[in-house]
Amino acid sequence: MSVGAALALVAVVAADSVTAGSISGIEAGTSVVGSATVPFQGDAVDDWAFVFRNMDYLLGGTLVTIGLTVASILLGFVVGFPAGAIEVYGDGILKRLVSAAGVVLRGTPIVVILVVVYFVIGVPQVNLGVYTLSSAVMAGILGLGFRSAAYQSQIFRASLASVDDGQLEAGRAIGLSQFEAVRHVVVPQALRRSIPGFQNEFTIVLKDTSIVFAIGLAELLTRGYDLFAEQTTAVLEVILVISAIYFVLTFTTNRALDYLGDRYAIPEGEAA
Amino acid sequence: MAGATQPAAIRRRAAESDLSVGRVLLVTAGALFWGWLVASWLNRWLGGVVVPVGEPFVRPATVETALATLPGLAAYAEPIGFAVGISPEIARGAWLTIVITTVSLFIGFFIAVPLAVTRVYGRYSAYLSLGYTELLRGTPLLAQLFVLHFGLNLGAYVPGALSGVFPRNVVWVAILGFTLNGAAYQAEYIRGALESVEEGQITAGRAIGLSRVETIYYVVLPQGLRYAIPSWTNEFIYLIKYSSLAAFITVPELYYRADQIAASTFRYTLIFAVTGLAYLALVLTASKLMEAVEARVAIPGLGADRGR
Amino acid sequence: MTDESFLEVTDVSKWYGDEQVLHDVSFEMDRGDVTVLIGPSGSGKSTMLRCVNRLAEAQEGSIRLDGEDVLAPSTDVDDLRREVGMVFQGFNLFAHLSAVGNVALGPQRVLGLSKAEARDRATDQLERVGLGNQLDSYPAELSGGQQQRVGTARALAMEPKLMLFDEPTSALDPELIGEVLEVMHDLVEAGMTMLVVTHEMSFARAVADEIVFLDAGRVVERGPPEQLFENPEKERTDRFLDRIASHD
Repeated sequence: MSVGAALALVAVVAADSVTAGSISGIEAGTSVVGSATVPFQGDAVDDWAFVFRNMDYLLGGTLVTIGLTVASILLGFVVGFPAGAIEVYGDGILKRLVSAAGVVLRGTPIVVILVVVYFVIGVPQVNLGVYTLSSAVMAGILGLGFRSAAYQSQIFRASLASVDDGQLEAGRAIGLSQFEAVRHVVVPQALRRSIPGFQNEFTIVLKDTSIVFAIGLAELLTRGYDLFAEQTTAVLEVILVISAIYFVLTFTTNRALDYLGDRYAIPEGEAA
Repeated sequence: MAGATQPAAIRRRAAESDLSVGRVLLVTAGALFWGWLVASWLNRWLGGVVVPVGEPFVRPATVETALATLPGLAAYAEPIGFAVGISPEIARGAWLTIVITTVSLFIGFFIAVPLAVTRVYGRYSAYLSLGYTELLRGTPLLAQLFVLHFGLNLGAYVPGALSGVFPRNVVWVAILGFTLNGAAYQAEYIRGALESVEEGQITAGRAIGLSRVETIYYVVLPQGLRYAIPSWTNEFIYLIKYSSLAAFITVPELYYRADQIAASTFRYTLIFAVTGLAYLALVLTASKLMEAVEARVAIPGLGADRGR
Repeated sequence: MTDESFLEVTDVSKWYGDEQVLHDVSFEMDRGDVTVLIGPSGSGKSTMLRCVNRLAEAQEGSIRLDGEDVLAPSTDVDDLRREVGMVFQGFNLFAHLSAVGNVALGPQRVLGLSKAEARDRATDQLERVGLGNQLDSYPAELSGGQQQRVGTARALAMEPKLMLFDEPTSALDPELIGEVLEVMHDLVEAGMTMLVVTHEMSFARAVADEIVFLDAGRVVERGPPEQLFENPEKERTDRFLDRIASHD
């Protein structure tokens, strides 16, 4: 229990690579939870008690999941928006390079991307002064972030292209430069039209954070796995609880983004 | 009405793509990939008629020595030889990836259509359908696979007729998981497409005396399913990629095979580059296939360019 | 019961929420008659028309068609609709079916004809509306006028005893209106019973047996075209006709 609490406190910091990747590692089923030493028995009450005793451990994992999602989405936006703009307005080698990278990232399973970033590229850990981001966390953020960038670029590409050409011309006609016209006229409209696609992408990233299980990052699902590896009779209870947590996360995210969409909607702007 | 110009647009697009060099390369690469895949499977099923089961068609050593003599490629001779060496395992894994994906997608479709129809046209059943899709779309696929495998241990309950079809019964658990999950996503796409069918189409159906169900079947679905093809293609591609998660419940598909080899040889870069390429080839094939389907069932004034 | 008319609409009222859109509308027509409903937009003409084949539900009053109570709970709406053809303002052709497919769907699926019989019948009807050379064209490949003629053929293929036309030419470019009116003219010649909502006054004048002028959901005036157009009894009718005339 105390281990769980300690882990929950440090959230992202604690998110170290616990089970050393790869399926062989998973089969070994090494666990980080040392506290719960309940004897093996199939008592349902006991199993639920086990889950609730370790709730702080799971909530710590939830924080890791949220942090990972937010960081990946932000990275995806920072990279994906310019990429989308390049696909619409760019030309030549740069445009081709961006679209090729997109095709590869969108055509490869996220688990392969994560494993490549973690084992192959071998990102180092990053010391932020207060926190140290372990290399598994870095790999998770980079893998999910760049993959998300590839999808976000498509969302922005479509919404930038959907803004009527007349808007750009009108911007130029009042004396804005090409860049200024895009920046002040096209982008504000395109961003609003991106909200539905962005909403979809956000929940995809949220759910896909679970796949960092492959590199042993101790987010919600991995912690759930560790728990039921500890008390094998409590498998269903543990997974139901973590599924419920994921559901609450996706549901609230969707509602929040719905609200955002309504709030920033342009009157009669739903034609997109 | 603007659709009158469409056939011309299609012809032009076809003409453009025929001329591009990239397309020729892509088609050649695709033909090579599929030729190799099918040959590998046939060799395995027929008990090693060409080369012993598990052996590549060309011996890695031969490839290496051949490449080593070429000045530009000498540096890559060894990795390419290694890739050739693991190719039978990749082909073997790809077979399960393809089977799991297509079977799940196919069965999922027949669950998704009623789900979508009840969601749009049902009363109380609409809430049931909504609940199902929200729940399945609101939780990670990997967690769902864990429920079926670790939680319910369904692999132990595979009916006799089905067990033994695959090397491991857990393959059926994966298919069930992807079917249930994919049905929820497909239902969502089909729902959107059904809703984009104009109200007047239903009115007209009812006006000639078709019942509500007949109108949905003969008028709404043929149009709605055509609108759904582009997003349905996305689901196909997603499923190919996410089928890799079956590895975590010990299904020996493509990613699992790659991971096994990597764990014993530690050549992660090469193995996952090859695996990534194999997935990419499958994904591109699926999207080309669906483009062809879309063109085949296309009707002037109906389809992708309107459904968005 | 002895001299009951073919279609009898009696005191029909209808509300959308709190708003009453039809107030005690009554009129009747005999077999082979052509009745034209006119009136400003929003006057309830289309709603009245749709009450006859129950695409809209009248809440009060009665509608009797050929001796049958249209509004009775026991009436099978699908049976009713196979006997009453309808042509829509927006054509509403089935977008996924060719012209012949559009016309054949009803005969095949509702009347139970074989595929070949349904196709033959559809071909006949399309030839009747002058589209024998466009059998396999899809709606998107046809002009508005052609689409509306397909829509008419689709309704005729069910061999209806009453045809409803809901502003069949309102969505058409002016140069395409003639071909649709011509088809309707032919139908009148052939003795079809027709209830028509339209703004085409010259057509109404030429073919109608009776004109019903509706305003704000009420029948303001009804009568033969000569009387209604030349000597309207009500000032409201006069004003409406003047305004229409100045637009023409």
